[in-house]
Amino acid sequence: MLQSARTPGLNLYTYSELEDVEGFIGNFKVKIRRKARYVTNDCNGCGACFEVCPAFGYNEFNEGMDPRKAIYVSFAQAVPSLAQIDMDRCIRCELCTNACELEAIDFNQEDEIIELEVGSIIVATGWDEYIPETGYLGYNIYPNVITELQLERILAPNGPTIGHLVRPSDGKRPKRILFIQCVGSRDLNKNTYCSAGVCCMIAIKNTKLIKQHYPDTEIDVAYMDIRAAGKDYEEYFTASRKEGIRYIRTNISKLKDDPLTGNIKVIMQNTLRESLGLKEMEYDLVVLSASMMPAQGIGKIEKMLKLETSQDGFFKEFHSRLNPIDTKIPGIALAGVAQGPKSIAESIAHGRAAASSLARLMSKDKYRILLIRATVDKEKCAKCGLCELNCPYMAITINDDGAEVNEILCRGCGSCLANCPSEAITLRYYREPQYEKQIDAILEEI
Amino acid sequence: MAGTIRAQYPATIRPIRINCTGRVTPSLIMRTIGKGADGVMIAG
Repeated sequence: MLQSARTPGLNLYTYSELEDVEGFIGNFKVKIRRKARYVTNDCNGCGACFEVCPAFGYNEFNEGMDPRKAIYVSFAQAVPSLAQIDMDRCIRCELCTNACELEAIDFNQEDEIIELEVGSIIVATGWDEYIPETGYLGYNIYPNVITELQLERILAPNGPTIGHLVRPSDGKRPKRILFIQCVGSRDLNKNTYCSAGVCCMIAIKNTKLIKQHYPDTEIDVAYMDIRAAGKDYEEYFTASRKEGIRYIRTNISKLKDDPLTGNIKVIMQNTLRESLGLKEMEYDLVVLSASMMPAQGIGKIEKMLKLETSQDGFFKEFHSRLNPIDTKIPGIALAGVAQGPKSIAESIAHGRAAASSLARLMSKDKYRILLIRATVDKEKCAKCGLCELNCPYMAITINDDGAEVNEILCRGCGSCLANCPSEAITLRYYREPQYEKQIDAILEEI
Repeated sequence: MAGTIRAQYPATIRPIRINCTGRVTPSLIMRTIGKGADGVMIAG
């Protein structure tokens, strides 16, 4: 991130949102809303304002597990390292204004909308963790049931506990931990897809990490299938088993907590050893390996860019096997989990593929199109607008003198001319007489 | 699919390439049947 921020010609617009996109490959006009931070670019992230700020909020970076001030830097490695004010929490005491030596705090700052002209767009919206419904597997009702990302923050050296593994109910170190896999994924009532083995690998990584730090911890992983498909992944899984982590193939439907100790009781059956029967186990901490979900707010971007999403909610690619990088709109490519669940290595490969796919188009001055495009006979056009409505590529607009086809956006599918009641639209090379001649020629043989 | 499973079809079937099934107009189908074809299959 820091390196990209320092690269000349590369502009980062952080804390910003896409407002509107118009145009086509080579000529996209993009509006970006730069949200007000209430801190100017003079800020150097020194943190003097955090110390004096009396108002608190939840630290989103640590999954809300520790507090932050109303004026804060979103996380320690944020680029650029600028403070921002959470106006929902701020009490406008303006103590920060006095504390700031650089006079960088500006309470009158407003959202700024900038317009850019770009040639191509890469959609890299990432993902959000699936949040289990309250009560599902005890989530949100038992304090010692947490999600994988929460555990990730607890184990992180810059997390809420500075890397000490403690459980939420009493702050003690958990000695018996259960990981539950496939929470919210591979479930016909929730997300039907598998998060591409990412949750399996994160769970394996965290079991190994905990075992390394605290060898006396007993760790069980309740799984459906361990999906360790990838280079060195299966070996990593085997290594974690050798370290004494127990993998139990089971399906857990219910957890119960012990109100006195805060421990979680789980009844499970190892489906690979059915002779052992049902067993009740007790754990200090339960970690739910929740699935990957499309990033929140993806629908807004979908509408603005006129893209589609697949059934699973991720952006739809040009072709799921032959071209998972480009979209149906030339000049817009997908990178990473925006297209579907991916590991870090796959996301990097996908991102680089997206960059080179667009660079190939952008390095030339011209964009070649096939001539198989819809053409409008404006004298016949009744401006009814059916073609505009039916165009899957939004290539048609109705003007005062009739329908206008954008030949770059048009892909020559022909659904406009099949829908045109006044037969004003034709497709070059695929006109009605050409089809009629073909049909006649074929049927002459009979 | 038909190719990979080596499916056979009668030699009297004549394919016509169309850019999109949405392109097919009723008049094309009527013309085909009117000229003596037994049926029209629209496969997309």
